Amino acid sequence: MPEKKNPETNGSTPTMDRKEVLERIGGDEDFLKELMEIYQQEFAEKTELLDKAIKEKNFEVIREAGHSLKGASANLSLPALREAAWEMEMAGKEQNLEQAKKALAKLKKEYQRLLAYLGED
Amino acid sequence: MKNTNAEKPSLQERKFSVLIAEDDPLARRMLEKRLKDWGYTVFKAEEGKKALEILKRPEVRMAILDWMMPGLEGPEICSKLRQSKKPKYTYVILLTARDTSFDIIQGLEAGADDYMTKPINFMELRARLKTAHRILELEDHLLKTQKKLLKLATLDSLTGAWNRRTIFSFIREELERYRRENKPLGLLMIDLDNFKAINDTYGHQAGDAVLKNMVKMLKKNLRPYDRIGRYGGDGLLILLPSSDLFNTGLIASRLLEHIRKNKINFRHKATLSATLSIGGTSTDSLAQPSLEKLIQTADRALYLAKKLGRDRVILFGDSVKEEAKEKKHARKEKP
Repeated sequence: MPEKKNPETNGSTPTMDRKEVLERIGGDEDFLKELMEIYQQEFAEKTELLDKAIKEKNFEVIREAGHSLKGASANLSLPALREAAWEMEMAGKEQNLEQAKKALAKLKKEYQRLLAYLGED
Repeated sequence: MKNTNAEKPSLQERKFSVLIAEDDPLARRMLEKRLKDWGYTVFKAEEGKKALEILKRPEVRMAILDWMMPGLEGPEICSKLRQSKKPKYTYVILLTARDTSFDIIQGLEAGADDYMTKPINFMELRARLKTAHRILELEDHLLKTQKKLLKLATLDSLTGAWNRRTIFSFIREELERYRRENKPLGLLMIDLDNFKAINDTYGHQAGDAVLKNMVKMLKKNLRPYDRIGRYGGDGLLILLPSSDLFNTGLIASRLLEHIRKNKINFRHKATLSATLSIGGTSTDSLAQPSLEKLIQTADRALYLAKKLGRDRVILFGDSVKEEAKEKKHARKEKP
């Protein structure tokens, strides 16, 4: 399989380190697809939760959802999403609503980038 | 690229089942897949209480526990596991997020054996599971050896009866109970009559077989809490808890009858008839019962049983001994 270039735009954090994640899961492409599906489901659930939590200023949920998305993103070697999730977790910890809103927008944007990246398969 | 040869499960890795306790579905699935690839049988839990339930299963000997979980957290599960009475050791690896400042010491003190930071480096996890395997195998081997040694140290290898040291310590224990609860305790000393003749006629292997089978026959006629031990040669001791002199005599007569009426196997399909001489005593018939006193009294009674023509029970207590002292001529006959 040829190495795939990360869709580098304006020098931001890479979307996915495909090589690293494949190494982690023993090179099984089918399994990676399965994991991506789980991730997408998780992402949908967590962002829905986050939308609600931001409206309700529930910083505990913001922190927790940020934390688990961070873990999931790290597992699949998705540095950009991991960074955005980390910012979300921090926003929850620091009870910073503006930062939480920014982080959510960033998460959604990076998620679109990921989908575009996966669509190139 | 599919799994390489190095990913194939080895026999060694196949033995123990592993619990994965992780609330993050992605991490849980990744762990499950990798562990199955390596040949492990996997159990999954997405929260703490279920994890603890699965850990009760005896075949689950390894656990990968996420620190942060709904219900019970990793360290709590760990300390609950350690407090439980699971007979075999379970090896626990705790998972923590790399950038959280959880106290590793706290996790280890809760009873974890190892910890790893997330995201999981699977090569490292595989190596650590191998270590877990090695430790569990060592532990199992040690327990097995310990059991074997205990058997060797307490049983008489020929007859399967308790050995001399062990039956003595049982008698001491029962004497303690007698002092505490005033429950009487009987002791029988038994000799197989004409054992030397059996050995001379049929050979020592036959003699050994007779002894072994005699112990079996006696055991069948004892109560579950009675204990039979080998005193030396063909001599046996039988400890009879909660038995006064009267009951001790009844049990002794029953044993005497049983051996007298039943043939003893000494070779395949070859049997012989034998009789016993039994000397007995009990704590209620002794002024100051002690291990030495019990043995000595039963021994004297046995001596008299043989002297009077074998195949009989003689019981002694202090009062009997006093009478015996009066008949001094009887004692002078002792060789």
